[in-house]
Amino acid sequence: MNVRFWGVRGSLPVPGAKTERYGGNTSCVEVRSAAGTRIIVDAGTGIRKLGKDLMHAEFDAGKGSAHLLISHTHWDHIQGLPFFAPLYRKGNRLYVYARQRDDVHLRAVFASQTEDPYFPIPFEEAKADISFRELTDSARFAIADVKVSCTRLNHPYIATAYRLAVDGAAVAYVSDTAPFADILFEHEFIREPPSPGEKLSHGDEEKLRTMRAGLVRLCEGADLVIYDTMFTADDYRRMPHFGHSRPSDAVAVCQEAGAKALVLYHHAPERSDGEVDEIVGQTRATAQKLEVLAAYEGLDIPLGTS
Amino acid sequence: MEVTFWGVRGSIPAPGPGTVRYGGNTSCASIHTPDGSLIVLDLGTGARNLGNSLMATRFGKGGGRATILLSHCHWDHIQGFPFFVPLYVPGNSFTIYGGGRSSALLEGILEGQMAPQYFPVQTLKNMGADIDITTVEEGRPFDVSGCQVTARTNPHGRAGALAFRIEAARKVIVYASDAGYGPEGAPASSIDLYRGADILIHDSTYTLEDRARHPERGFSSLDDAVAAAIAARVKKLVLFHFDQDYVDTDVDALVERGRRLLDDRGGGAIEIAAAAEGLTLTP
Repeated sequence: MNVRFWGVRGSLPVPGAKTERYGGNTSCVEVRSAAGTRIIVDAGTGIRKLGKDLMHAEFDAGKGSAHLLISHTHWDHIQGLPFFAPLYRKGNRLYVYARQRDDVHLRAVFASQTEDPYFPIPFEEAKADISFRELTDSARFAIADVKVSCTRLNHPYIATAYRLAVDGAAVAYVSDTAPFADILFEHEFIREPPSPGEKLSHGDEEKLRTMRAGLVRLCEGADLVIYDTMFTADDYRRMPHFGHSRPSDAVAVCQEAGAKALVLYHHAPERSDGEVDEIVGQTRATAQKLEVLAAYEGLDIPLGTS
Repeated sequence: MEVTFWGVRGSIPAPGPGTVRYGGNTSCASIHTPDGSLIVLDLGTGARNLGNSLMATRFGKGGGRATILLSHCHWDHIQGFPFFVPLYVPGNSFTIYGGGRSSALLEGILEGQMAPQYFPVQTLKNMGADIDITTVEEGRPFDVSGCQVTARTNPHGRAGALAFRIEAARKVIVYASDAGYGPEGAPASSIDLYRGADILIHDSTYTLEDRARHPERGFSSLDDAVAAAIAARVKKLVLFHFDQDYVDTDVDALVERGRRLLDDRGGGAIEIAAAAEGLTLTP
């Protein structure tokens, strides 16, 4: 299989000279199996360029099909979809997967993004055949030759991590998530960091322990783990209630899971290319046998037989 | 009065090596008025950098007041709103003017962007600053911190977009983003609004050829912008809202071609420039 990064940024796109090397587009990763199954994880602004690229082949003829796994529907993970060119070609098929919500149907979440007055082309006018599948927290299913498994993450309004296994290799996509300590994120807005010395309830602690164990299982023996490492240690001290991890959190999960390589991902909008370089260096120094790299737009990683 | 550009792009931010000079952020400009107040024009992703820069001023301490004029609510004009940090500082106060049938509808549109399925803050009410949202009455001048502001609707796809004329100390800046005129060009009401402006910031999303390929999108070509500038006898035309696929050299070419068009069509006295992130102009 082949893993390709089209957008690596968190929160919002950040154009400019400071982000030229790693890239300023928001989250989007493409996974393709040797047999040609195409899975896209998240639809941040990076998906626009992927869409243009796809229009050179079968998607231009209206014969393309792709599966889009959504980690969660915060803007930086869906805002590129209206600019995904294959949507506007009749005959193309897009299967969208995301965690089931209590309040809004998945289709409505996406349809609202393109309704008047936010966007000029309503969802109904996208000519491709788009279907939705809502997932449970620990869903397991197959997309053609690719085995997909899910687990719940610790993020405001809940996000889903995915493991994709095919061609004798496995990649895990873990974005967005806070560490599994300090705060349990569910549906409430958390205005302030917890006060010093404030303890989690026993129930919350237990939920976080279970959630982390689920994530370690998901990452077990993975060839590649793509992990939300938006925060530095200092960011996390100031903003533990924003729902993002530090590289050290990702390293710990990967090491426990016996994963082979960690890709730092979902870079903070303010992070310059030089700062990302530094973070990679510091993380490598603590990672022992775990290989560490930082995601950048255009990074291509072949795994297993591809 | 001076105007500074924070985002000059249309539709969707366009990061990458090809857009570093003019910038890849979506639409946002700010005007410093003669009495030291701030007017913000649209809140595309450029608003993030504007907001960050304001945190070193009274806005960082909760003593800031500003007026925000929204041309319309397509994403590229409001998607910087959740990332405009002064909105999270209690004590700051913002008045937002926009279009639409009622203030409640406009507020609902801005609320929609903050909803929990899309953004962790969940509602405008969790932001902290005082936010007052009001619809404008077309063609009727209103006062904003010593400036006279007039709004007119331009045709723009199905939506329409407000253009704003801002006058103070006998200087005029006009902001006309997202204008998709018919074959007859800008309507008389728009030309009236632009008339004699010292600076006309005008939608120039496309070349003439590219616009012909996408007439339904409701944007101006360079030629539309030039024609409006000549008809309204403005002093300076500033090209704005570039297509996401245009790299810096494409924008350079727009300016060169615009200069030639102005000269050929009787606008030789009109200056021309392309908006760029960080560019400040004084009328």
